[in-house]
Amino acid sequence: MASENYTREEENFEDEELDETSFKSVKDAVLFAIDISNSMLEPRVSDDSKKCVKESPASAALKCAYHLMQQRIISNPHDMIGVLLYGTQSSKFYDEDEESRGDLSYPHCYLYTDLDVPSAQEVKELRSLAEKDEEALEILKPSSEPVSMANVLFCANQVFTSKAANFLSRRLFVVTDNDNPHADNKALRSAATVRARDLYDLGVNIELFPISRPDHEFDTSKFYDDIIYKTSPSDGDAPTYLKPDTYESTAKGDGLSLLNSLLSSINSRSAPRRSLFSNVPLELGPDFKISVNGYLLLKKQEPARNCFVWQGGETPQIAKGVTTLMADDTAHTVEKEDIRKAYKFGGEQVSFTTEEQQALRHFGDPVIRIIGFKPLSALPFWANIKHPSFIYPSEEDYVGSTRVFSALQQKLLEAEKMALVWFIPRKNASPVLAAMIAGAEKLDENGVQKTPPGMWIIPIPFADDVRENPEATLNKAPDTLIDSMREVIQQLQLPKAVYDPSKYPNPSLQWHYRILQALALEEDMPETAEDKTIPKYRQINKRAGEYVLAWAEELKAQSAKMFGGIAATKSTLVKRGAKEENAESHPSKRVKVEGDGTDADSVVKQASEKGTVSKLTVAVLKEFLNAHGRATAGKKSDLVERVEQYFEEKF
Amino acid sequence: MAEKEATVYIVDMGKSMGERHHGRSVTDLEWAMQYVWDRITSTVANGRKTATLAVVGLRTDETHNELDEEANYHNISVLSDLGQVLMPDIRRLREIIKPSRTNRGDAISSIVIAMQMIITYCKKLKYKRKIVLVTNGTGSMSNEGLKSIVSKLQEENIELVIIGADFDDPEYGVKEEDKDSAKAGNEALLRVLAEDCDGVYGTLEQAVSELDIPRIKVTKSMPSFKGHLQLGNSEEYDTAIRIPVARYFRTYVAKPPSASSFVLRSGTEAGQESAAGSQAPGEGDTLTTVRMSRTYQINDPNAPGGKTDVERDDLAKGYEYGRTAVAIEQTDENVTNLETFAGMEIIGFIQSDKYDRYLHMSNTNVIIAERANDAASLALSSLIHALYELESFAVARLVAKENKPPMLILLAPSIEPDYECLLEVQLPYAEDVRSYRFPPLDKIITVSGKVVTEHRNLPSDSLRDAVSDYVDSMELETTNDEGEPTNELPIDESFSPLLHRLESAVRYRAVHPNDPVLDPSERLTQFARPSEELVRKSKSYLERLISTADIKKVPPKTKGRKRQRETEKPLSGLDVDALLSLEPKRTKISSENAIPEFKQTLSRADSINAIHDAVKQMAEIIETQIKHSLGDANYDRVVEGLGTMREELVDYEEPFSYNDVLRTLKGKLLAEVLGGDRRELWWLIRRNRLGLIDKSVVESSGVSEAEAQEFLAAN
Repeated sequence: MASENYTREEENFEDEELDETSFKSVKDAVLFAIDISNSMLEPRVSDDSKKCVKESPASAALKCAYHLMQQRIISNPHDMIGVLLYGTQSSKFYDEDEESRGDLSYPHCYLYTDLDVPSAQEVKELRSLAEKDEEALEILKPSSEPVSMANVLFCANQVFTSKAANFLSRRLFVVTDNDNPHADNKALRSAATVRARDLYDLGVNIELFPISRPDHEFDTSKFYDDIIYKTSPSDGDAPTYLKPDTYESTAKGDGLSLLNSLLSSINSRSAPRRSLFSNVPLELGPDFKISVNGYLLLKKQEPARNCFVWQGGETPQIAKGVTTLMADDTAHTVEKEDIRKAYKFGGEQVSFTTEEQQALRHFGDPVIRIIGFKPLSALPFWANIKHPSFIYPSEEDYVGSTRVFSALQQKLLEAEKMALVWFIPRKNASPVLAAMIAGAEKLDENGVQKTPPGMWIIPIPFADDVRENPEATLNKAPDTLIDSMREVIQQLQLPKAVYDPSKYPNPSLQWHYRILQALALEEDMPETAEDKTIPKYRQINKRAGEYVLAWAEELKAQSAKMFGGIAATKSTLVKRGAKEENAESHPSKRVKVEGDGTDADSVVKQASEKGTVSKLTVAVLKEFLNAHGRATAGKKSDLVERVEQYFEEKF
Repeated sequence: MAEKEATVYIVDMGKSMGERHHGRSVTDLEWAMQYVWDRITSTVANGRKTATLAVVGLRTDETHNELDEEANYHNISVLSDLGQVLMPDIRRLREIIKPSRTNRGDAISSIVIAMQMIITYCKKLKYKRKIVLVTNGTGSMSNEGLKSIVSKLQEENIELVIIGADFDDPEYGVKEEDKDSAKAGNEALLRVLAEDCDGVYGTLEQAVSELDIPRIKVTKSMPSFKGHLQLGNSEEYDTAIRIPVARYFRTYVAKPPSASSFVLRSGTEAGQESAAGSQAPGEGDTLTTVRMSRTYQINDPNAPGGKTDVERDDLAKGYEYGRTAVAIEQTDENVTNLETFAGMEIIGFIQSDKYDRYLHMSNTNVIIAERANDAASLALSSLIHALYELESFAVARLVAKENKPPMLILLAPSIEPDYECLLEVQLPYAEDVRSYRFPPLDKIITVSGKVVTEHRNLPSDSLRDAVSDYVDSMELETTNDEGEPTNELPIDESFSPLLHRLESAVRYRAVHPNDPVLDPSERLTQFARPSEELVRKSKSYLERLISTADIKKVPPKTKGRKRQRETEKPLSGLDVDALLSLEPKRTKISSENAIPEFKQTLSRADSINAIHDAVKQMAEIIETQIKHSLGDANYDRVVEGLGTMREELVDYEEPFSYNDVLRTLKGKLLAEVLGGDRRELWWLIRRNRLGLIDKSVVESSGVSEAEAQEFLAAN
């Protein structure tokens, strides 16, 4: 338990950058500011009468916020999110509402979800608002008088100041269809620009999600260009992506397409851009460096580790574990500075001082050093050990980095080459050899960037990391058999013949949080999981079925020809004959071998019908269970139980 | 299980081994021991009880062996018997392996003794048997009974390795000039002996020079999945394919040795320990292991400090959903686990040229047909070849064991003359992709949406050409064993630098406890920079690239300030500063909008006094926040305020103002006049490095780095 904890911490340490110069905590807070007005509440009707979904811009925005909230519980469990509605008839700000005495600080601002790590209750409330429950209609009533944008921005300012103090990343997501809120009031307008400047100085980044009205294109130059700043204050060096992505699609189209384009736009900005390493020199040759930042665009997302919950109070509470280090001989507490690292050797410990340890781990300062170029084809499929890092140029240390990086990226793309690099991502990180390859920009159907342009650093294995191939029998398939397999493959291409990760949510991760949500909200447990990774069996049968049968015939013919009666399957390693394995490859042929007593499947099935499963041998039970993807560990009684369970579920 | 081993090292300790030859700085014995210690410590490092070894001294002053009755076997001493060697043995051997005062003693006899030791120890059991003789080949040797020795060695299946200092080896290119004729005779004798029993005969120079070739541990892989590769659902349809397969690692990162934590045993003073180290009677004795103990705390507003300890037994397992704690009852511990069944199921096929290589998420595996199943291997072969011919990959869902989470994998065909398999790697799920957006690299899109193709951030045609030529001139050349050029990465010659450096450092330290740690061997860092030849070849192209690129290094001083200046305008370029100065309210910094107003006041300040005044106001606001903080409620705000102040005053080169504020604040915090015990806040300030601005940061500061350190450290 303790040791597992230890390694986990080490892994984390490797992933996120430890910026020692910044005093800010590496967390992100997103506050949605959603404009509630008549036009925002007007449902966009679909031309297609079959689609009866009526989605208004406001409800689309709320759904996006709900979606993002759920998503961030999984992906960024320590980051905050909040929802501020503005332009509403009613007002709410912490303890203040219409019933409070005295003036309202922020009239027509309704802080629906306070900025915080969301609780299950808040998830539920936001969902009911997005789905327009009764109560929601009351809240989503637009005010008759216009709201002051300066007030909205200062309200957001106060929320950030008090709830997300010292966060490295603070972002205000403004969703509106009003491109000129104070067209006729210069004073209000300039007050808003001043409040926007306050947010900028506070380090809050405003991100605008403009929605065009059916009759009017959203024009940022009217108001919002005075509100939004070029660089994000938290990541001053990062170039902002200025290309608007929702213009075209929001004016036309129905509510559903509006929702989708808004979702893809918000999704693409859901994660705060945190660098993995920053301003690492990319050394093209001796004495020629440019600087780059590294990002983790691909990273295996795992469910958060379990923790301990204390249920003695009104609400369950997470108990925080505190680890103390103790000397084994005296049980006295040990300070970190006194700890020495030692290696087991010859029955004793060989120790090094802290300085020596550091010296041993030091192989030079962080660098990405090109040691030569190779054609892309030199990088074998198998030469991989982990996920890649993405790099993008930075002008911070070397002015001109971007143009050189750009030229290199384009050259590598055109010439289909890669660079072999010596890569030390952080101080005292152990060096790896890596392939640096260029990646082209990719856009989705809404024109939103899906894959950024840049370069990828793919760590490759050292000789130590390469395993020898296991022994295998080689029976090269004759051309006729290959040809019939080709027919099968050609029937079963994925859409566009590409793998698109966005089509496959991780079923076990989703299930984990789906269950937690149900438990937290005391809702009914879902019956079955949605699992997009399960193959579409019906389609496979329909499209490729007859080709599979043809292939199976050919396989039978060829193996009869090649192995005859003396197939290598007669060896002692495998208990059953070739015929049965042949059948294994194709169940429809199983019928023919059934009854000869060698087929575990039929033997077990018969036994199950007769109720004599417990009389079967362990070997047969194990073979049967393995063939059906069941665990084969445990005592015989466990195996029998599992087999019986299998038949219960089936029939 | 690794094979059992029995190795006898015969070390020539004769008087002549104490001499230095051919201008070497080490004696022959020291030289030989470099090799022997390396071999011995490698064996010790693997920590296996069954890896046994023995050390026999040749030409020792005394005689100590089983056959010591006979004169032929005099001056040979068994220094340690066959068995697992541990640290005390290493220390003892280190002391006794010294040149003797005699040159008497027969190397051939020592081989007989070593042989005898192995025969006695191993009996008829299965062992890997080996004798290693290291000598300088002087002294007298008798060729009596050589034949029977050879046949006995072969009969017992003992490998004989003879390594000699300055032995001639035309293949390696060593030839000793003016070789003593007696030595030449001995060399010939030993060579014949080694060759007759198919042993190894080599020169010490080569053996020592090859010590830095890292030895790779060969790990036998076990299958991580044994089951069926399926296409379609055989339980429902008759048209499903099921091929029995097994999955093995193709790559798996070899981890460097891991260190454990220790502290000095109580009662051992630091000074004592180092003294002990120099005499080296077991440094291990002075260390004791560190244990971790875990306690659990919950928030409790009524408890002093706001926290109470709770017992582990009173806690349920659970998870966090947002900030809501969800307890899971023990009875349905696995409720959040998705129920799955083992299997490798093909989802569909994609075209290999439409796959982006950077989507590889993991180490790689090979998939082969179940062993000794001809039909299965034939079936798999047809899939491999069909994928290859169609230039396709398969996307599949893999559950390696019942109830393990499903993985999405990519299957690629691999066909070699005598080996066929599928290669497999994990693919990312939707949640694994983080979309950060970056501007295009081949064009600039302006605020107004205009596309620009000429810009200082875009390469000119001449820069493109220069980069292109340079890339072409830096083509890495790799060759195969026959010296023919290949299109392969030098993976076989690259070794994990950290792993091998640590391993050799541990081994070196075991034998030389007082030496400093060594630099990594050249072979470990050979890929740390381009080869000299490549650098020379591409030099002119690089020079042209450097001059065309016109890269300017940013001096560290100007990094922060200047850049910020440029960007303090909204997209429209509106001069908000002008608007700000018109705001009547903003003469005094308000506490609720302190940070923005502090920054704005500074940027407007026209005199030093104005800056000092702003700092004073800010300091007051921070103090009030501390005073009113319930527990740690306001600490993050305080840290942010102080941090902002520090950052700004560094930029304005006003270290004194900040340092004054901080000194006063520290005094008040520690004197507990700001609402009681605020030590936790001081600890936060320390952790966030918000200490005094010293000379290394702003030159005009009167505070030295050491002073700043001390200021932060003291409490």
